Amino acid sequence: MRIAVRRYAVSIVRGGWAVTDTEYGVVARGVTRGFGPVQALRGLDLTVPYGQVTALVGPNGAGKTTLLLILATLLRPDFGEVRVAGLDPVHDPSGVRSRMGWMPDVFGVYEQLTVREYLAFFAAAYRLDGAVSNQRISDALLRTHLFEYANRPVHILSRGQKQRLALGRAMLHEPAVLLLDEPASGLDPRSRVELRDLLRALAAAGVAVLVSSHILSELEEIADRVVFVNEGRTVDEQDIHQLAANHMSQWRVRAADPDALRAALEQRGVTAGASSGAGTELPAMTEDAAAELLAGLISDGVRVVAFGPVGSHLETAYLAMTQERR
Amino acid sequence: MSLYGVMLVVRQEFRVRLRTGRWRWLLGSWVAVLLLFTALLDLSLTGATGPRGVPLFGGLMLFVLALVLIISPALTAQSVNGDRERGTLATLQVTRLTATEIAVGKLLAGWGVGLVALALALPFVGWSIVEGGMTVLRTFVVLLVVALLIGVVCAISLGLSALLARSITSALLSYLAVFALTVGTAVTFGLSAGVIGGDRATAKVWWMLAPNPFVVLADATPKLPPAFDIQGHEIPQPGDPLGELGRSVRQLRDPDYYDEYADEPQHHPNPGPVWPYGLTFDLLVGAGAVWLTARQLRTPAARLPRGIRVA
Repeated sequence: MRIAVRRYAVSIVRGGWAVTDTEYGVVARGVTRGFGPVQALRGLDLTVPYGQVTALVGPNGAGKTTLLLILATLLRPDFGEVRVAGLDPVHDPSGVRSRMGWMPDVFGVYEQLTVREYLAFFAAAYRLDGAVSNQRISDALLRTHLFEYANRPVHILSRGQKQRLALGRAMLHEPAVLLLDEPASGLDPRSRVELRDLLRALAAAGVAVLVSSHILSELEEIADRVVFVNEGRTVDEQDIHQLAANHMSQWRVRAADPDALRAALEQRGVTAGASSGAGTELPAMTEDAAAELLAGLISDGVRVVAFGPVGSHLETAYLAMTQERR
Repeated sequence: MSLYGVMLVVRQEFRVRLRTGRWRWLLGSWVAVLLLFTALLDLSLTGATGPRGVPLFGGLMLFVLALVLIISPALTAQSVNGDRERGTLATLQVTRLTATEIAVGKLLAGWGVGLVALALALPFVGWSIVEGGMTVLRTFVVLLVVALLIGVVCAISLGLSALLARSITSALLSYLAVFALTVGTAVTFGLSAGVIGGDRATAKVWWMLAPNPFVVLADATPKLPPAFDIQGHEIPQPGDPLGELGRSVRQLRDPDYYDEYADEPQHHPNPGPVWPYGLTFDLLVGAGAVWLTARQLRTPAARLPRGIRVA
């Protein structure tokens, strides 16, 4: 159904403001925002489609949090056009609030309440009525794995559990757009996997999810798209699979017989880098080139044990972007 | 603004506060202090002429007013910036609660606690009524004015907590504001009258005293029926601190007016009351502070107070 709608959705054309909200949960064009002498955003562009997880990536001070505050109706942009769930957060903040969930990077919880009371308060603040409210609270407790803590005071929760509680709070009113600022920080590996599954499930249900994070290896698993920001501007906006395909990244290969591997590489004119227990470093190449090399090595009779990129594509792309800055 | 939203904020504030503080101890000691004060005042009044209820009530209410003026800033002076420091304000602002609902809710929660403190003084008010001499109207008006003044101080403190980034600064300034209303008005009045000089100096600057909570309370207190001296002349009820304070303030406003209970009938008209000016001023300041709080809480925010991070 959604796919059918999408076909007719008008895409964004720079300059021509023809947007339908059937495709994008968030659209931002040329957004600027200054705090006194500090210019936090200098013309940022962003789109967050429904049904996908979009990652917002950039160094500290790039303007990620400022952008999320603008999308969350808390901060007024100086210039630029913003639509969240099809509405303008400056002119219709309450409309946006009922369709948008936000989880800040730093936040407090009402330590004195129980977990259930905490969620019930926010359910009431979102004006959910009795039966719906109870249903949503139970749902949030289940999805964030806090059910057994429902009647315990919030102050006994660990940092990661509070993080999950805040996520549960942001989802109570079933927002169409979910904005998460560094949601994975403070989470243990299991909670991160659960967060990933939860976000994937929400995206599958049609929610437009925007996640800012520093933990790049993880974003690669969570996100469908990535938006790189730096110094208040959008540097790049890409599909994550395309990123992997197009990007030159470092590779590493390991074989049962290291000497045979070296000889084969030499024969193919590939300058091998340092060797370690993890394998032999290869020069930067695209996925295509890497696949070709691997096929070649195997046809040469090299018994390859492992062949893969070093680090993540996202990480290399990120490092390349921040390199340009210097 | 909806009643639903306001009451939601009020209930939340109450619940969070109730579970944080040692309320039983605080309220217990508050009652103990009032009990001690009333008992000692009552004892000290043995042998006084006239019904003991009047001075007992007057003394008690001035004492209660002084205490609630000290307590009230603490009730709201950290309501907004304290939430911001704890990181719970922004998550509240992104819900469907409006800025006005949050501002009014926080005011009512603080004011409510102040009113609970006032309500705990009621048994002692009852005590003074039993001692005789009090009228229902006077009791009611005095309690109402004290209740309003608690609200004014809560509102001013709330406004400061919305305006300033740090809760310590706003708490300090709230106490400074109470100090300015009480001691400040008196000192300004005294100095100004001294500078102007002459018999009628106070008539020019009486209004400086008007916002003083003690002046408002005393002057707003309805008059008691007169007493009579041995010769059968009308005299004011003896030992009536509220009445005396009110009369002296009116006399400052019009120094020519000598005494309404003078032997010879006076042709000089009674000086007008001072309290309507003072109370109106105080209520306007309080309303302005709530308006300011709501404005500061309104999002999306264009400008942020210095040193404030939204979240």
